[in-house]
Amino acid sequence: MKLLSDLASPIVIGILMGGLYVVIALGLSLVFGVMKVINVAHGDMVILGSYLAFSAITMWGLNPLLWLLPSLPIFFILGILIEKYLLHRAAKMSADAALIIAFGLSLIVQNASQRIWTPQTRSLFTTYSMTTFKIGNIYIPLVYLLDFFAALLVMAAVHQFLKRTYLGQAITAASQDRQTAELMGINPSRVYQIAFGISMALASIAGIFYGLTFPFNPQSGNPNLIIAFGVIILGGLGSIGGTFIGGMIFGLSQTLGGHFLGPTGQQLVPFLMVLIVLTIRPQGLFGR
Amino acid sequence: MRRYLYIIILVAVAIVLALLPVVGAPKTWLLYLFYFYVFLAAANMWNLLAGFSGLLALCPAAFIGLGGYIMTILTWLGIPYYVGLVAGGLLAALFAMLISVSVFRMRGVYFAIGTLVVPAILRLVFLRWKPVGGDFEGGGAGYMVKGVRAIPPEVTYWLAMAIGLLSMILIMIILRSKFGLGLAAIRDNDTSAASSGINVFRLKLYSFIIAAFVMGMTGAIFYMNIGYIEPTNAFDISWLMLVLLATVIGGKGMEWGPLVGTIIVVGLRFQLARYAGISLLIQGLILVVIMLVAPQGIMGLVHKLRQKRFSRQSV
Repeated sequence: MKLLSDLASPIVIGILMGGLYVVIALGLSLVFGVMKVINVAHGDMVILGSYLAFSAITMWGLNPLLWLLPSLPIFFILGILIEKYLLHRAAKMSADAALIIAFGLSLIVQNASQRIWTPQTRSLFTTYSMTTFKIGNIYIPLVYLLDFFAALLVMAAVHQFLKRTYLGQAITAASQDRQTAELMGINPSRVYQIAFGISMALASIAGIFYGLTFPFNPQSGNPNLIIAFGVIILGGLGSIGGTFIGGMIFGLSQTLGGHFLGPTGQQLVPFLMVLIVLTIRPQGLFGR
Repeated sequence: MRRYLYIIILVAVAIVLALLPVVGAPKTWLLYLFYFYVFLAAANMWNLLAGFSGLLALCPAAFIGLGGYIMTILTWLGIPYYVGLVAGGLLAALFAMLISVSVFRMRGVYFAIGTLVVPAILRLVFLRWKPVGGDFEGGGAGYMVKGVRAIPPEVTYWLAMAIGLLSMILIMIILRSKFGLGLAAIRDNDTSAASSGINVFRLKLYSFIIAAFVMGMTGAIFYMNIGYIEPTNAFDISWLMLVLLATVIGGKGMEWGPLVGTIIVVGLRFQLARYAGISLLIQGLILVVIMLVAPQGIMGLVHKLRQKRFSRQSV
């Protein structure tokens, strides 16, 4: 019983934190599913989202959650532009070419944020940053709870969008079989642009919640990218449910690893999980 | 005849480069060239993996860092650096064999991500692990390379040059051997390669191990020159960026691609030192522009232009 009550806190925190990883990973998963492009700039786009929110807070004293409203369209349009002018031609040539362009974008965003916001570590500090709940003998920070609810909301929204709307169905069709989708009269260029725009909008949501939860600096993008990859790969590419489970596994292995093995374990165990799961099931847990 | 001419030119260039430290060339030249050799070896080996074998292995830092660490730790045990250099390569190759058990089960993106995680794991392990030394060394504090001052700088230069040359020669030999033919068949279509009797798994494994061996030695010579190694730098993603940049600018999957790419990358690195604040931004822009203008890299562009001229002549 003692062990169980000790474990309750890391388990709850792990699941809640997993929610944040799900939000970070969803955009990446969508772009990969539709365009078969590994967007290595995704982690940096998330951090760009955090930084823009940071500026909005310091300049206008906005609540970061309110900043979501302008942030979503900004990133959506940015995503469409990037896809239209940079990725589209490259993605047609080869998956590698698009990957390398994304890599170049990642360098540009990193360096630009360093110039604009200095290399200093920042965080989105609000009045409720320090608020915690006590349930039983578990302390839960409010922001973790927000992360988790954001994850549920975003997942439900993406799921409904893909299932119910014409565009969503077109995206699903294009990700299942590009050629057949084209034959059915779906315009792939348009679908790709929309998908990339949505992925960027998701990155901006992830950025705001990431900034609320953790401190960030211009270099935070790469570790995030590896985490996001771990999450979608664990769950299996192209499966939203899988991504959710992947996020939970990643969060849990982080907190439980930290609980049993200390700070190194906290970082090490999730990566080991990725390797172990992929060794046993090379296509991910729910991969096709 | 033309082939011999190439070889004669190459040998002549190599002799001149080898003599530079003896005739008292400026120190900065030697430093540029040292970086050139190290990056060339790493880029050539990555080209072998990603360009010729279809293995998008995102873990060059694992082999490079491991090679550097083995060499450094061995100097602490009183083993001379040249033994450590080879041991670094051998252990990196052994490590490649070890992780191949896991990562070779994965395909495509899964392989890429599986390998991307490896250097991150090694970094965390070396942040904690203190195989030698006292309380103040090892872990996050890193290690000095023991007795690094006793190594004459020209020896480091020659060793790096030897490794750079080795990587070039290896690629030349591989591409002209049955092994290379097999790799080309796999790259073009691995199902039909397998059905015509090529052991796809084994050939890919061979090139993985060869690349790990040379990258291990590369890491050893690089950190020998710096004289200091610590985990965050040794297993950093910037190694991946470097090989990617050099290979892609030059032309991935082209024999001479990494050579051309490395010349540009080293030139950029030193030219951009003046604009340190925005050097990454410029590198990123170059990467994007090159990909849009010449997706096959510079050698690919040269190849295309030559073909165009050829076809015009024949008309």
